[in-house]
Amino acid sequence: MAEVGHSDVVATVRGVLRDVLGISETRVAAFTDATELFGALPEFDSMAVAGVLTELEDRLGILIDDDDVDGEMLATFGALTRFAAARVSG
Amino acid sequence: MIDHYDWAGGREAMVRFPPAQPGSDAHQVVVLPALFEEHNRTRSFTVAICRGLAALGIGAMLPDLPGQNESQTATEQATLEHWRGAVSDLVVAQSSRHPVHIASIRGGAVIDGVDGSASVWRLAPLTGRAVLRDLERTALIGNKASQAADSVAGPVVLAGNSIGAALHAGLLGDVALPTPAAPVRTVRLEGDVGAADLRLPGAPMWRHSEPGNDETLAQLIAADIAVWIARCGG
Repeated sequence: MAEVGHSDVVATVRGVLRDVLGISETRVAAFTDATELFGALPEFDSMAVAGVLTELEDRLGILIDDDDVDGEMLATFGALTRFAAARVSG
Repeated sequence: MIDHYDWAGGREAMVRFPPAQPGSDAHQVVVLPALFEEHNRTRSFTVAICRGLAALGIGAMLPDLPGQNESQTATEQATLEHWRGAVSDLVVAQSSRHPVHIASIRGGAVIDGVDGSASVWRLAPLTGRAVLRDLERTALIGNKASQAADSVAGPVVLAGNSIGAALHAGLLGDVALPTPAAPVRTVRLEGDVGAADLRLPGAPMWRHSEPGNDETLAQLIAADIAVWIARCGG
């Protein structure tokens, strides 16, 4: 069950990045855990971070404390999904 | 067509979209736009919805709120009471000819509970506190990323929006959506898990960094508002 939950989170994070950053379905489908996001993806600027986090909250039914937001959890697709998954299961 | 409306505190501009068939303006809608940053990001989209309504024979009005857009009220002087009062006065004045319906986009829902409307239609509504939280988060993360402190005395400045102390307090205390006497319909986008009467396909452009539009979604929304208004009467 834990794996199923995680794959749902991964799909939701993909959907949020696609919808909020305006990245194509094809591009976002190719994202792996190692894909770099903040600082590497031109669409993912500081203005977009708030939108991504708030949309993740709305779609996953979680709350993200702004104090927990740092460069590390935004650095890669894998880091962001692990961060989101921890909030879902927590 | 640029028009205006009067409220207790003065006169504000309003864009009017007359129905495509002249004389068939029995149905009319006041469209309350999203607030602050989301207002800018959804401006074209909101106008596309108004045009869609007009094409369907429904007159649409897109008012400036006191302290927003072309208003002569200073931005930091605006309060939630001003906004609600202005919407109320507009609805009452327009109701003398035909019933007036309200359609609110996002944070516009904060002020859509005024008396006198025949119905209320909402797109992805959120409370004043949630509006404020989005702004604070944008400001906080923007500062964190750029390391540029932006502390300003007097009105609170959040992500470039000057918000007076009274409006800030009003938004902070606004923790539940209004419950108007008129019937309410809530529409959200697919993926949004909030309570909704209908979910439409589309991306939340109010979260995009740059202003954009989604003509297909705007037309779906205009069509849904038109059916809803016909059902509610007016």
